[in-house]
Amino acid sequence: MRLTDASVVIRPRTSWEAIDLGVLLAQRHRALLMTSWAIVTLPVFALLTLLLWDYPSVAVLVFWWLKPAYERLPLLILSQALFGSAPSLRQALKSLPSALTPQLIASLTWRRLSLSRSFYQPVQQLEGLDGLPRAQRIAVLGQKDPRAARLLTALGSTLEMTFWIGLMVLFYAMIPPQIEADWSWRSLLDIEGEWNWLEHLTNGFYALVLIVWGPVYVSCGFALYLNRRTALEAWDIELGFRNLRQRVLGSALALLLGGFFALTLLPSSVMAASASIQSMPEEIPSESGNSCPLPPLDNPQTDEDVAPPDSPRLLNQPLTSQASQNAIHAVLEQPPFKNPKPVSGWRIAQPKHDAQSAETPNWLARLVVGLLNTGKTLSAVFGALLWALLGITVAWVMWRYRAWFATFVGKSPPKATAPQDIPHQLFGLQVRAETLPTDVADAAERLWQQSPREALSLLYRALLSRLLTDYQLPLKSADTEGQILARIAELKQPPLDDFSHELTRHWQNLAYGHRLPPDQARQTLCSGWRKLFAQGAGA
Amino acid sequence: MSLSHAEPGFAAPLALLDTRVRMETPEGIDLILRPAGLLSRSIAFGIDLMIRGVLLGALFFVLGTLGDFGTGLFMLALFLGTWGYMVLFEVLHQGRTPGKQIMGLRVIHDDGTPIGWSASVLRNLLRFVDMLPFGYCVGAFTCLQHPLFKRLGDLAAGTLVIYRDLPPQRPALAEVTAINPPLPLLLAEQRAVQAFAERHATLSPARAQELAAIVTQPLQLSTSPDPHYPVQQLNGIARSLAGSS
Repeated sequence: MRLTDASVVIRPRTSWEAIDLGVLLAQRHRALLMTSWAIVTLPVFALLTLLLWDYPSVAVLVFWWLKPAYERLPLLILSQALFGSAPSLRQALKSLPSALTPQLIASLTWRRLSLSRSFYQPVQQLEGLDGLPRAQRIAVLGQKDPRAARLLTALGSTLEMTFWIGLMVLFYAMIPPQIEADWSWRSLLDIEGEWNWLEHLTNGFYALVLIVWGPVYVSCGFALYLNRRTALEAWDIELGFRNLRQRVLGSALALLLGGFFALTLLPSSVMAASASIQSMPEEIPSESGNSCPLPPLDNPQTDEDVAPPDSPRLLNQPLTSQASQNAIHAVLEQPPFKNPKPVSGWRIAQPKHDAQSAETPNWLARLVVGLLNTGKTLSAVFGALLWALLGITVAWVMWRYRAWFATFVGKSPPKATAPQDIPHQLFGLQVRAETLPTDVADAAERLWQQSPREALSLLYRALLSRLLTDYQLPLKSADTEGQILARIAELKQPPLDDFSHELTRHWQNLAYGHRLPPDQARQTLCSGWRKLFAQGAGA
Repeated sequence: MSLSHAEPGFAAPLALLDTRVRMETPEGIDLILRPAGLLSRSIAFGIDLMIRGVLLGALFFVLGTLGDFGTGLFMLALFLGTWGYMVLFEVLHQGRTPGKQIMGLRVIHDDGTPIGWSASVLRNLLRFVDMLPFGYCVGAFTCLQHPLFKRLGDLAAGTLVIYRDLPPQRPALAEVTAINPPLPLLLAEQRAVQAFAERHATLSPARAQELAAIVTQPLQLSTSPDPHYPVQQLNGIARSLAGSS
């Protein structure tokens, strides 16, 4: 174990943070841990299921009881991955028997129900302590904040149950309703042993849950253990001191070499300086007389061949300068130097109904009968107020967004708005429909006898009125008769066009030229009018 | 201690795992955040649930005396308690509900800014997805699998639950004569020396001497028959690094 090889940042953390580090550690080696866990546990589960087919509850209880045995392998993998490279799946499985045997009986019997199981597991498995030394070691480790390890186990079992029930709920939710009805009908007539497979299936869910949570639990306990040792043995300080040593002595060596070359070139001047430095490198390995087992020192001798900065260096160790260059480039490929774009997704929330019984305790209610009555009144008043508020809010919203609603409620009939735009007078003539008689042609025929001018005027006004209302022509009071004819021509209705031309000609002759229309014009115009507007005349 | 890439010499092939993340602000300032994981967060949620349960239970009995009106008021309180408790505390109390306050947590935006209304409402509305299919299964699972321990609501709202930084206390250093370090020390090295001076009392004497022996030579500490002498010299260096008073 070399601290400088650790794949996590070593620093004293709070217990919570240490557990989080365990989660991270398990995440990093997720695939290996979960696969190896599944390979170990699922055969055991299958075997138990077959052996105890008639007793599903006993099978799951035994499976649960054997948990400390499954937890050996993840710890082994994690401990190797922490100070070096993670083993392959094959290597891990090969080392399983040697990890499994020591103190297995103790783990499965009197230590099985210990709440700090995962925290103390490294002591017996990695440090190999048993009996009194183990008890002493545990006493030292557990001096500070043993609560976290217990909480971890408590939360872990809660989480297991939650996931387990969650999986069952999910399973039942996925069953089509027909089958479900069939099942409940059959379960009423439950025949002995018929439904064991269902219970074993539910037990299988527990095995699945453990694949996810088991390695995380081991990893969290291991992280707690590491954290405690970091604090106890000041690993972070040791790491800092080693780096300091590496830096200072490395530069001293460079100085020494420089001094050596200077000495060969200028023998007279730097004798004293090089003499003082020369004594240093020989002393380097002298502090190995340590009192307790320690990670071996990084051997600075390997760094001696100091060369120009960009030539390959440090070739006699796992990490060469080339590898560190690659590592630097890898770091430069990550945030904050290269920022990947985060994409977050939306999901539809399902509302939860908070069922709340509306019962009130009677004995309390009887104590305050007076309050009860005021309460009823108040509730009525408040109910009315709240409903009123709701109504006002709805009304306000509808009024506030009336334009927005109007776009969706469908076009209101344009006739409703048309009267506002229709001019009431066109060049001095009243064209509103109300000012006209119901049967225009009749009235015109009668008027023709006394004054043809009024009769023609009536016909022309009626025509304009019809053009405005029936044909929706956008006539303005500034339009001349000719412009009106042009607009009528755009409607492309030959009968209307002919009639309008005829009427306009007679009207202009009479109005401006004071030339009376010929007598047959009366017949032509009135019958023409009836032909064109007969259907709408009665309306 | 410094962060992962500040450590010279050996670099692991993968980035070193740490529970701290570094956020760089546009001004080029590094914020160190410590995202909080499932355990502390679920305990904080449990505390919050308990507080709400006790308050609403008490309210239920008090308002029960008012009959229908009381029931109506209780329904309103229940609604506010269910939907408003988290949001109001998070936005108006610097991202801390009482449970988070007790556990030393707070909620912030992903970029380290204080949480706002929309993010808080969103992350709390999505609790109902995290609760599926039973008792926060989805939330717990995503929390365990996400490197920043986010549940779905956090992912959607762009929020992060972190450990609050407590104002640092000035540590007590041993009363020794200050010694100037014989060579300029890097920040990380100064911190290591300081940490040694602050924590060597919690170590066994043998371990403290062992640590001091590592730097005896580079820091040119004088060796003497007393094995504890280098430790005191390191304390002296830490004293001079810390400055007077």
